[in-house]
Amino acid sequence: MTVQEQQHIFKQWLYMYKALIFKIVRAYGSTAMDHDDLFQEISIQVWNSIPTFRHESAVTTWIYRIALNTAIRWVSKEQKYRNTNGTMESIPDILFQQNIQADEQLTWLYKAIHQLDEIDRSVALLLLDGFSYKEMATILGITVSNVGVKINRIKKQLIIQSKKFNKNGI
Amino acid sequence: MEFEELQKVWDTQNNQPLYAINEKALHNRIITKKHQVIHIAGFTEWLLIIVNIAAGAFILGMNFMNHNRLFIYLLAAWMFGSALYVLASRIRRIRAHRFDRSMLGDLQHALAAAKYQVGLSFIMRWNALPIALLVLLSIWESSKPVWLALVVALFFILVAYASRWEHNIYKAKKQELEILLKKLQQEESAAC
Repeated sequence: MTVQEQQHIFKQWLYMYKALIFKIVRAYGSTAMDHDDLFQEISIQVWNSIPTFRHESAVTTWIYRIALNTAIRWVSKEQKYRNTNGTMESIPDILFQQNIQADEQLTWLYKAIHQLDEIDRSVALLLLDGFSYKEMATILGITVSNVGVKINRIKKQLIIQSKKFNKNGI
Repeated sequence: MEFEELQKVWDTQNNQPLYAINEKALHNRIITKKHQVIHIAGFTEWLLIIVNIAAGAFILGMNFMNHNRLFIYLLAAWMFGSALYVLASRIRRIRAHRFDRSMLGDLQHALAAAKYQVGLSFIMRWNALPIALLVLLSIWESSKPVWLALVVALFFILVAYASRWEHNIYKAKKQELEILLKKLQQEESAAC
């Protein structure tokens, strides 16, 4: 595969699946700088993965898999960096926030997802994006029944939190 | 809210991406980073192979031309042996089992690499002991002053501390991966 071909596929994927990557970036990062940094990491991994993509799975599944694997590893690396260097804040240069009115419920939902651990966050994202148990099991590399157990627990947790959120009157 | 309602909230973002991408800057970043990727395990292996062979060859040559001392020959042989050991480990590592591209496979792969790195740093840390011993014996054999032996011993103590520090970094990384793997698999038994 030539670099031009790789770049063409990358551009196409980025155009089609950027919303998917933004969701993962927002679920794992806290600040705009985090989002920029994680987006770069995921983009690099997606770019590198293009020559090895064999059409054995859907592109969405492939990108989700790469993005989640990158995100959970990025979290532990980033936490360690913060523990030694404090918070890092500078100006992001790859991503620019669009002028969209903040959706309070969506912001709350991201906060609730943020409270889950790295692995549960992956499951929650896949669940909310409508992946089947079987697809989730393939992406995560665990059994379908284990996916089921995790989903039950996460669903309960999110529903309880949403009730608290509603009760607090927003 | 029921879960279906949460899903509706989630879906509201599908048609209005939060960010715009500076594609040119992203492309430049990818190209730059692509060339910066250094695989720690591979880098350490080559460093150890080259350093051991170069140092072994140097002391062998010097000893052969000038002193002809037994312990220095042994030291050179030990260094060549160390290089050979690292080379064999590298070949074994490259031929090792490939993992699938799931999250579990990715974590297992990272963990295998971390375990290898921990093992290699552990062996290389203790490898400094016979090297130190052979260097000190060669100093004794050539009747050099005691202070020189003390300086060399101090140097090797510092090396031992530095390699313990390095070893602990790899160990911490391995533990982090083990925790992640445990989190991913923790409900497996409950599911069965």
